[in-house]
Amino acid sequence: MALRMWASSTANALKISCASKPYLSLSRCFSTVLDGLKYAESHEWVKHEGSVATIGITDHAQDHLGEVVFVELPEPGGSVSKGKGFGAVESVKATSDVNSPISGEIVEVNSKLSEAPGLINSSPYEEGWMIKVKPSSSSELESLMGSKEYTKFCEEEDASH
Amino acid sequence: MRGPLKLEVWKMGFVNYLDALKLQEKLVSDRKLCRIPDTLLSLQHPPTYTLGKRRTDHNLLIPASELKNIGAELHYTQRGGDITFHGPHQAILYPIISLREIGLGARNYVEKLESTMIELSSLYGVKACAGQKGETGVWVGERKIGAIGVRISHGITSHGLAFNIDPDLKYFKHIVPCGITDKEVTSLRRETSTVLPSEEVIHEQLISCFARLFGYNTVVWKENPSILSDHEEIA
Repeated sequence: MALRMWASSTANALKISCASKPYLSLSRCFSTVLDGLKYAESHEWVKHEGSVATIGITDHAQDHLGEVVFVELPEPGGSVSKGKGFGAVESVKATSDVNSPISGEIVEVNSKLSEAPGLINSSPYEEGWMIKVKPSSSSELESLMGSKEYTKFCEEEDASH
Repeated sequence: MRGPLKLEVWKMGFVNYLDALKLQEKLVSDRKLCRIPDTLLSLQHPPTYTLGKRRTDHNLLIPASELKNIGAELHYTQRGGDITFHGPHQAILYPIISLREIGLGARNYVEKLESTMIELSSLYGVKACAGQKGETGVWVGERKIGAIGVRISHGITSHGLAFNIDPDLKYFKHIVPCGITDKEVTSLRRETSTVLPSEEVIHEQLISCFARLFGYNTVVWKENPSILSDHEEIA
Protein backbone atom coordinates (compact mmCIF):
# COMPACT_ATOMS: atom_id res chain seq x y z
CA MET A 1 0.00 0.00 0.00
CA ALA A 2 2.83 2.40 0.88
CA LEU A 3 4.22 2.05 -2.62
CA ARG A 4 0.86 2.85 -4.15
CA MET A 5 0.35 5.93 -2.01
CA TRP A 6 3.87 7.14 -2.74
CA ALA A 7 3.44 6.58 -6.46
CA SER A 8 0.05 8.32 -6.57
CA SER A 9 1.04 11.32 -4.49
CA THR A 10 4.29 11.77 -6.36
CA ALA A 11 2.46 11.48 -9.67
CA ASN A 12 -0.02 14.08 -8.51
CA ALA A 13 2.77 16.39 -7.43
CA LEU A 14 4.57 15.85 -10.71
CA LYS A 15 1.46 16.49 -12.77
CA ILE A 16 1.38 19.97 -11.35
CA SER A 17 5.01 20.61 -12.16
CA CYS A 18 4.85 18.83 -15.52
CA ALA A 19 2.19 21.25 -16.69
CA SER A 20 4.66 24.09 -16.42
CA LYS A 21 7.66 22.14 -17.65
CA PRO A 22 6.48 20.06 -20.59
CA TYR A 23 9.98 18.81 -21.43
CA LEU A 24 10.08 16.74 -18.25
CA SER A 25 9.06 13.16 -18.82
CA LEU A 26 9.38 12.01 -15.23
CA SER A 27 5.66 11.32 -14.97
CA ARG A 28 6.23 8.24 -17.10
CA CYS A 29 8.22 6.66 -14.28
CA PHE A 30 5.39 7.14 -11.86
CA SER A 31 2.52 5.13 -13.34
CA THR A 32 0.56 3.50 -10.57
CA VAL A 33 1.73 0.04 -9.58
CA LEU A 34 -0.33 -1.87 -7.02
CA ASP A 35 1.06 -4.09 -4.31
CA GLY A 36 -0.38 -7.58 -4.16
CA LEU A 37 -0.59 -8.02 -7.94
CA LYS A 38 1.76 -9.90 -10.20
CA TYR A 39 3.10 -8.41 -13.42
CA ALA A 40 4.33 -9.55 -16.83
CA GLU A 41 7.03 -7.84 -18.90
CA SER A 42 4.40 -7.19 -21.55
CA HIS A 43 2.60 -4.97 -19.00
CA GLU A 44 -0.34 -7.13 -17.98
CA TRP A 45 -1.28 -7.67 -14.31
CA VAL A 46 -2.74 -10.69 -12.51
CA LYS A 47 -4.73 -10.66 -9.26
CA HIS A 48 -4.97 -14.12 -7.76
CA GLU A 49 -7.87 -14.59 -5.34
CA GLY A 50 -8.72 -18.14 -4.36
CA SER A 51 -9.23 -20.25 -7.47
CA VAL A 52 -9.65 -17.31 -9.85
CA ALA A 53 -7.09 -14.99 -11.38
CA THR A 54 -8.18 -11.64 -12.83
CA ILE A 55 -6.12 -10.18 -15.69
CA GLY A 56 -5.84 -6.71 -17.16
CA ILE A 57 -3.28 -4.24 -18.46
CA THR A 58 -1.32 -1.91 -16.23
CA ASP A 59 -1.47 1.84 -15.75
CA HIS A 60 1.90 2.07 -17.55
CA ALA A 61 0.43 0.18 -20.51
CA GLN A 62 -2.72 2.27 -20.81
CA ASP A 63 -0.72 5.47 -20.59
CA HIS A 64 1.53 4.39 -23.47
CA LEU A 65 -1.44 3.27 -25.55
CA GLY A 66 -3.52 6.42 -25.47
CA GLU A 67 -7.30 6.47 -25.35
CA VAL A 68 -8.70 2.97 -25.85
CA VAL A 69 -11.64 2.98 -28.27
CA PHE A 70 -12.19 -0.73 -28.84
CA VAL A 71 -11.51 -3.93 -26.92
CA GLU A 72 -11.58 -7.43 -28.40
CA LEU A 73 -12.02 -10.20 -25.84
CA PRO A 74 -12.37 -13.97 -26.10
CA GLU A 75 -15.43 -16.00 -25.10
CA PRO A 76 -15.76 -17.54 -21.64
CA GLY A 77 -15.03 -21.26 -21.72
CA GLY A 78 -12.02 -20.80 -23.96
CA SER A 79 -8.46 -21.14 -22.71
CA VAL A 80 -5.41 -18.92 -22.47
CA SER A 81 -1.71 -19.82 -22.59
CA LYS A 82 1.11 -18.00 -20.86
CA GLY A 83 2.69 -15.48 -23.22
CA LYS A 84 0.07 -15.92 -25.94
CA GLY A 85 -2.41 -13.28 -27.06
CA PHE A 86 -6.01 -13.52 -25.89
CA GLY A 87 -7.41 -10.26 -27.16
CA ALA A 88 -6.55 -6.80 -28.38
CA VAL A 89 -7.17 -3.15 -27.66
CA GLU A 90 -7.37 -0.34 -30.21
CA SER A 91 -6.16 3.19 -29.55
CA VAL A 92 -4.92 5.96 -31.90
CA LYS A 93 -5.59 3.71 -34.93
CA ALA A 94 -3.30 1.02 -33.50
CA THR A 95 -4.48 -2.42 -32.43
CA SER A 96 -2.22 -3.90 -29.75
CA ASP A 97 -2.39 -7.56 -28.78
CA VAL A 98 -2.91 -8.31 -25.11
CA ASN A 99 -1.06 -11.39 -23.84
CA SER A 100 -1.98 -13.66 -20.96
CA PRO A 101 0.62 -13.86 -18.18
CA ILE A 102 -0.65 -17.32 -17.20
CA SER A 103 -2.35 -20.40 -18.66
CA GLY A 104 -5.83 -21.53 -17.72
CA GLU A 105 -9.53 -21.61 -18.51
CA ILE A 106 -11.46 -18.39 -19.08
CA VAL A 107 -14.36 -18.25 -16.63
CA GLU A 108 -15.54 -14.68 -17.12
CA VAL A 109 -15.00 -11.78 -19.48
CA ASN A 110 -15.64 -8.09 -18.73
CA SER A 111 -18.58 -7.33 -21.00
CA LYS A 112 -18.65 -3.66 -19.84
CA LEU A 113 -15.60 -3.05 -22.02
CA SER A 114 -17.54 -3.32 -25.28
CA GLU A 115 -19.66 -0.29 -24.35
CA ALA A 116 -17.04 1.48 -22.23
CA PRO A 117 -13.54 0.67 -23.54
CA GLY A 118 -12.19 3.79 -21.81
CA LEU A 119 -12.48 2.00 -18.46
CA ILE A 120 -9.09 0.53 -19.31
CA ASN A 121 -7.66 4.05 -19.21
CA SER A 122 -9.60 5.40 -16.25
CA SER A 123 -9.49 2.29 -14.06
CA PRO A 124 -6.90 -0.18 -15.38
CA TYR A 125 -6.74 -2.26 -12.15
CA GLU A 126 -10.39 -2.17 -11.12
CA GLU A 127 -13.24 -1.61 -13.56
CA GLY A 128 -10.94 -2.08 -16.58
CA TRP A 129 -10.23 -5.76 -15.80
CA MET A 130 -10.37 -7.87 -18.95
CA ILE A 131 -10.74 -11.62 -18.18
CA LYS A 132 -10.97 -13.96 -15.22
CA VAL A 133 -9.15 -17.27 -15.48
CA LYS A 134 -8.88 -20.50 -13.52
CA PRO A 135 -5.07 -20.88 -13.48
CA SER A 136 -3.72 -24.24 -14.53
CA SER A 137 -0.28 -23.76 -12.98
CA SER A 138 0.72 -22.05 -9.73
CA SER A 139 4.39 -21.96 -10.76
CA GLU A 140 3.52 -19.63 -13.64
CA LEU A 141 2.06 -17.14 -11.15
CA GLU A 142 5.14 -17.35 -8.98
CA SER A 143 7.46 -16.62 -11.89
CA LEU A 144 5.81 -13.25 -12.57
CA MET A 145 7.17 -9.97 -11.19
CA GLY A 146 6.00 -8.42 -7.94
CA SER A 147 5.17 -4.74 -7.63
CA LYS A 148 8.69 -3.57 -6.69
CA GLU A 149 10.27 -5.56 -9.53
CA TYR A 150 7.71 -4.30 -12.03
CA THR A 151 8.18 -0.67 -10.94
CA LYS A 152 11.91 -1.03 -11.47
CA PHE A 153 11.28 -2.76 -14.82
CA CYS A 154 9.16 0.18 -16.02
CA GLU A 155 11.69 2.75 -14.84
CA GLU A 156 14.51 0.95 -16.65
CA GLU A 157 12.42 0.55 -19.79
CA ASP A 158 11.51 4.22 -19.91
CA ALA A 159 14.92 5.54 -18.87
CA SER A 160 16.97 3.61 -21.38
CA HIS A 161 15.57 5.50 -24.37
CA MET B 1 21.87 5.26 -24.12
CA ARG B 2 20.94 2.67 -26.68
CA GLY B 3 23.42 1.38 -29.28
CA PRO B 4 23.37 2.08 -33.01
CA LEU B 5 19.99 1.44 -34.67
CA LYS B 6 19.84 -0.18 -38.08
CA LEU B 7 16.95 0.03 -40.51
CA GLU B 8 16.63 -2.13 -43.60
CA VAL B 9 14.50 -0.52 -46.29
CA TRP B 10 12.80 -2.63 -48.98
CA LYS B 11 11.80 -0.61 -52.05
CA MET B 12 9.10 -2.76 -53.54
CA GLY B 13 7.20 -0.88 -56.21
CA PHE B 14 3.63 -2.10 -56.82
CA VAL B 15 2.53 -4.93 -54.56
CA ASN B 16 -0.82 -6.66 -54.36
CA TYR B 17 -2.38 -6.08 -50.91
CA LEU B 18 -2.61 -9.73 -49.88
CA ASP B 19 0.97 -10.41 -50.93
CA ALA B 20 2.12 -7.47 -48.83
CA LEU B 21 0.06 -8.75 -45.89
CA LYS B 22 1.58 -12.25 -46.11
CA LEU B 23 5.06 -10.76 -46.35
CA GLN B 24 4.44 -8.60 -43.28
CA GLU B 25 3.23 -11.59 -41.26
CA LYS B 26 6.43 -13.44 -42.10
CA LEU B 27 8.60 -10.43 -41.30
CA VAL B 28 6.82 -9.81 -37.99
CA SER B 29 7.55 -13.38 -36.99
CA ASP B 30 11.20 -13.04 -38.10
CA ARG B 31 11.58 -9.74 -36.27
CA LYS B 32 10.11 -11.19 -33.08
CA LEU B 33 12.77 -13.93 -33.22
CA CYS B 34 15.45 -11.29 -33.94
CA ARG B 35 16.25 -12.93 -37.28
CA ILE B 36 16.00 -9.59 -39.06
CA PRO B 37 16.65 -5.97 -38.05
CA ASP B 38 13.94 -3.29 -38.02
CA THR B 39 12.59 -3.36 -41.57
CA LEU B 40 10.65 -0.79 -43.57
CA LEU B 41 8.60 -1.73 -46.63
CA SER B 42 8.10 1.10 -49.14
CA LEU B 43 5.48 0.37 -51.79
CA GLN B 44 2.24 1.21 -53.59
CA HIS B 45 -0.91 -0.89 -53.98
CA PRO B 46 -3.30 -1.31 -56.89
CA PRO B 47 -6.77 0.12 -56.04
CA THR B 48 -7.69 -1.51 -52.73
CA TYR B 49 -10.15 -0.73 -49.95
CA THR B 50 -9.26 -2.06 -46.51
CA LEU B 51 -11.08 -2.37 -43.22
CA GLY B 52 -9.60 -2.56 -39.73
CA LYS B 53 -10.25 -4.89 -36.81
CA ARG B 54 -13.55 -3.19 -36.00
CA ARG B 55 -14.86 -4.21 -39.46
CA THR B 56 -16.69 -0.94 -40.01
CA ASP B 57 -18.07 -1.99 -43.40
CA HIS B 58 -21.02 0.38 -43.02
CA ASN B 59 -18.49 2.99 -44.14
CA LEU B 60 -18.24 1.35 -47.58
CA LEU B 61 -20.84 3.25 -49.59
CA ILE B 62 -21.11 0.98 -52.60
CA PRO B 63 -21.99 -2.73 -52.55
CA ALA B 64 -18.92 -4.96 -52.30
CA SER B 65 -20.08 -6.64 -55.52
CA GLU B 66 -19.58 -3.34 -57.39
CA LEU B 67 -15.92 -3.08 -56.51
CA LYS B 68 -14.74 -5.20 -59.42
CA ASN B 69 -16.45 -2.76 -61.80
CA ILE B 70 -14.32 0.07 -60.50
CA GLY B 71 -11.20 -2.07 -60.54
CA ALA B 72 -10.77 -2.34 -56.80
CA GLU B 73 -10.37 -5.08 -54.18
CA LEU B 74 -11.61 -5.15 -50.57
CA HIS B 75 -9.69 -6.69 -47.65
CA TYR B 76 -10.40 -7.11 -43.96
CA THR B 77 -7.38 -6.71 -41.71
CA GLN B 78 -6.29 -6.78 -38.07
CA ARG B 79 -4.94 -3.24 -38.07
CA GLY B 80 -6.40 -0.38 -36.07
CA GLY B 81 -8.36 2.35 -37.77
CA ASP B 82 -11.41 2.51 -39.98
CA ILE B 83 -11.96 2.03 -43.72
CA THR B 84 -9.48 3.49 -46.16
CA PHE B 85 -8.40 3.38 -49.80
CA HIS B 86 -4.97 2.58 -51.17
CA GLY B 87 -4.02 3.06 -54.80
CA PRO B 88 -1.47 4.19 -57.34
CA HIS B 89 0.38 7.44 -56.54
CA GLN B 90 -0.07 6.95 -52.82
CA ALA B 91 3.16 6.27 -50.92
CA ILE B 92 2.87 3.50 -48.37
CA LEU B 93 5.30 2.66 -45.59
CA TYR B 94 4.93 -0.52 -43.54
CA PRO B 95 7.47 -0.45 -40.70
CA ILE B 96 8.14 -3.85 -39.14
CA ILE B 97 9.96 -2.64 -36.04
CA SER B 98 10.37 -3.60 -32.42
CA LEU B 99 8.74 -0.90 -30.30
CA ARG B 100 10.26 -2.36 -27.14
CA GLU B 101 13.79 -2.01 -28.47
CA ILE B 102 13.21 1.52 -29.60
CA GLY B 103 11.34 2.42 -26.41
CA LEU B 104 8.01 3.56 -27.82
CA GLY B 105 4.43 2.86 -26.86
CA ALA B 106 1.59 2.84 -29.40
CA ARG B 107 0.74 6.48 -28.87
CA ASN B 108 4.30 7.78 -29.36
CA TYR B 109 4.82 5.48 -32.34
CA VAL B 110 1.74 6.80 -34.11
CA GLU B 111 2.75 10.39 -33.32
CA LYS B 112 6.10 9.77 -35.00
CA LEU B 113 4.34 8.30 -38.06
CA GLU B 114 2.28 11.48 -38.20
CA SER B 115 5.44 13.58 -37.85
CA THR B 116 7.02 11.66 -40.73
CA MET B 117 4.25 12.75 -43.08
CA ILE B 118 4.13 16.28 -41.65
CA GLU B 119 7.84 16.69 -42.26
CA LEU B 120 7.57 15.40 -45.82
CA SER B 121 4.71 17.80 -46.51
CA SER B 122 6.79 20.71 -45.22
CA LEU B 123 9.48 19.95 -47.82
CA TYR B 124 6.90 21.12 -50.35
CA GLY B 125 5.71 24.11 -48.36
CA VAL B 126 2.58 22.32 -47.18
CA LYS B 127 1.63 23.02 -43.57
CA ALA B 128 0.21 19.75 -42.33
CA CYS B 129 -0.59 18.81 -38.77
CA ALA B 130 -1.67 15.86 -36.68
CA GLY B 131 -5.36 15.27 -36.17
CA GLN B 132 -7.29 16.31 -33.12
CA LYS B 133 -8.10 13.69 -30.49
CA GLY B 134 -9.72 10.69 -32.10
CA GLU B 135 -8.74 11.76 -35.62
CA THR B 136 -5.32 10.18 -35.98
CA GLY B 137 -3.76 11.04 -39.30
CA VAL B 138 -2.26 14.03 -41.06
CA TRP B 139 -4.34 17.01 -42.12
CA VAL B 140 -3.97 20.17 -44.15
CA GLY B 141 -6.67 22.29 -42.62
CA GLU B 142 -9.82 20.17 -42.78
CA ARG B 143 -8.46 17.94 -45.54
CA LYS B 144 -6.75 14.63 -44.88
CA ILE B 145 -3.46 14.02 -46.68
CA GLY B 146 -2.15 11.01 -44.78
CA ALA B 147 -3.70 8.03 -43.02
CA ILE B 148 -2.44 5.64 -40.37
CA GLY B 149 -3.49 2.15 -39.36
CA VAL B 150 -1.20 -0.02 -37.28
CA ARG B 151 -1.04 -3.45 -35.70
CA ILE B 152 1.22 -4.21 -32.75
CA SER B 153 1.82 -7.82 -31.84
CA HIS B 154 4.31 -8.75 -29.09
CA GLY B 155 5.71 -5.27 -29.50
CA ILE B 156 6.34 -5.65 -33.26
CA THR B 157 4.58 -3.29 -35.66
CA SER B 158 2.96 -3.99 -39.01
CA HIS B 159 0.76 -2.03 -41.42
CA GLY B 160 1.65 1.67 -41.14
CA LEU B 161 1.00 4.84 -43.09
CA ALA B 162 -0.35 5.96 -46.46
CA PHE B 163 0.58 9.37 -47.85
CA ASN B 164 -1.37 10.83 -50.78
CA ILE B 165 1.08 12.07 -53.40
CA ASP B 166 -1.46 12.21 -56.26
CA PRO B 167 -3.93 9.32 -56.06
CA ASP B 168 -7.24 9.39 -57.90
CA LEU B 169 -9.31 11.01 -55.15
CA LYS B 170 -12.59 9.86 -56.79
CA TYR B 171 -12.02 6.44 -55.21
CA PHE B 172 -12.49 8.04 -51.78
CA LYS B 173 -16.04 9.02 -52.71
CA HIS B 174 -17.11 5.39 -52.31
CA ILE B 175 -16.25 5.34 -48.60
CA VAL B 176 -16.57 7.43 -45.49
CA PRO B 177 -12.78 7.73 -45.19
CA CYS B 178 -11.58 6.69 -41.74
CA GLY B 179 -15.21 6.91 -40.59
CA ILE B 180 -15.12 10.72 -40.55
CA THR B 181 -18.07 12.09 -42.49
CA ASP B 182 -17.57 15.80 -42.94
CA LYS B 183 -13.93 16.05 -43.97
CA GLU B 184 -12.31 15.85 -47.41
CA VAL B 185 -9.34 13.89 -48.62
CA THR B 186 -6.51 15.71 -50.37
CA SER B 187 -3.08 15.08 -51.88
CA LEU B 188 0.35 16.66 -52.10
CA ARG B 189 -0.38 17.51 -55.72
CA ARG B 190 -3.45 19.48 -54.68
CA GLU B 191 -1.89 21.27 -51.76
CA THR B 192 1.38 22.48 -53.25
CA SER B 193 2.22 24.82 -56.09
CA THR B 194 5.75 23.39 -56.20
CA VAL B 195 6.47 21.16 -59.18
CA LEU B 196 6.69 17.63 -57.83
CA PRO B 197 9.75 15.51 -58.63
CA SER B 198 9.39 11.85 -59.63
CA GLU B 199 7.51 9.69 -57.15
CA GLU B 200 10.64 7.68 -56.51
CA VAL B 201 12.24 10.84 -55.10
CA ILE B 202 9.22 11.53 -52.90
CA HIS B 203 9.25 7.94 -51.60
CA GLU B 204 12.92 8.29 -50.71
CA GLN B 205 12.26 11.58 -48.93
CA LEU B 206 9.46 9.96 -46.94
CA ILE B 207 11.79 7.13 -45.96
CA SER B 208 14.51 9.62 -44.94
CA CYS B 209 12.05 11.55 -42.77
CA PHE B 210 11.03 8.27 -41.12
CA ALA B 211 14.62 7.16 -40.51
CA ARG B 212 15.60 10.51 -39.04
CA LEU B 213 12.56 10.85 -36.79
CA PHE B 214 12.97 7.35 -35.43
CA GLY B 215 16.68 7.79 -34.80
CA TYR B 216 18.10 5.18 -37.16
CA ASN B 217 21.78 5.85 -37.75
CA THR B 218 22.30 3.10 -40.28
CA VAL B 219 19.97 2.67 -43.25
CA VAL B 220 20.47 -0.24 -45.63
CA TRP B 221 18.57 -0.15 -48.93
CA LYS B 222 17.30 -3.28 -50.62
CA GLU B 223 16.05 -2.64 -54.15
CA ASN B 224 13.46 -4.92 -55.79
CA PRO B 225 13.67 -7.70 -53.23
CA SER B 226 12.85 -11.03 -54.80
CA ILE B 227 10.56 -12.31 -52.06
CA LEU B 228 7.43 -11.93 -54.17
CA SER B 229 7.24 -13.47 -57.62
CA ASP B 230 3.79 -13.02 -59.13
CA HIS B 231 2.54 -9.51 -58.61
CA GLU B 232 5.61 -7.39 -58.17
CA GLU B 233 6.24 -4.65 -60.70
CA ILE B 234 8.78 -1.89 -60.80
CA ALA B 235 7.09 1.43 -60.06
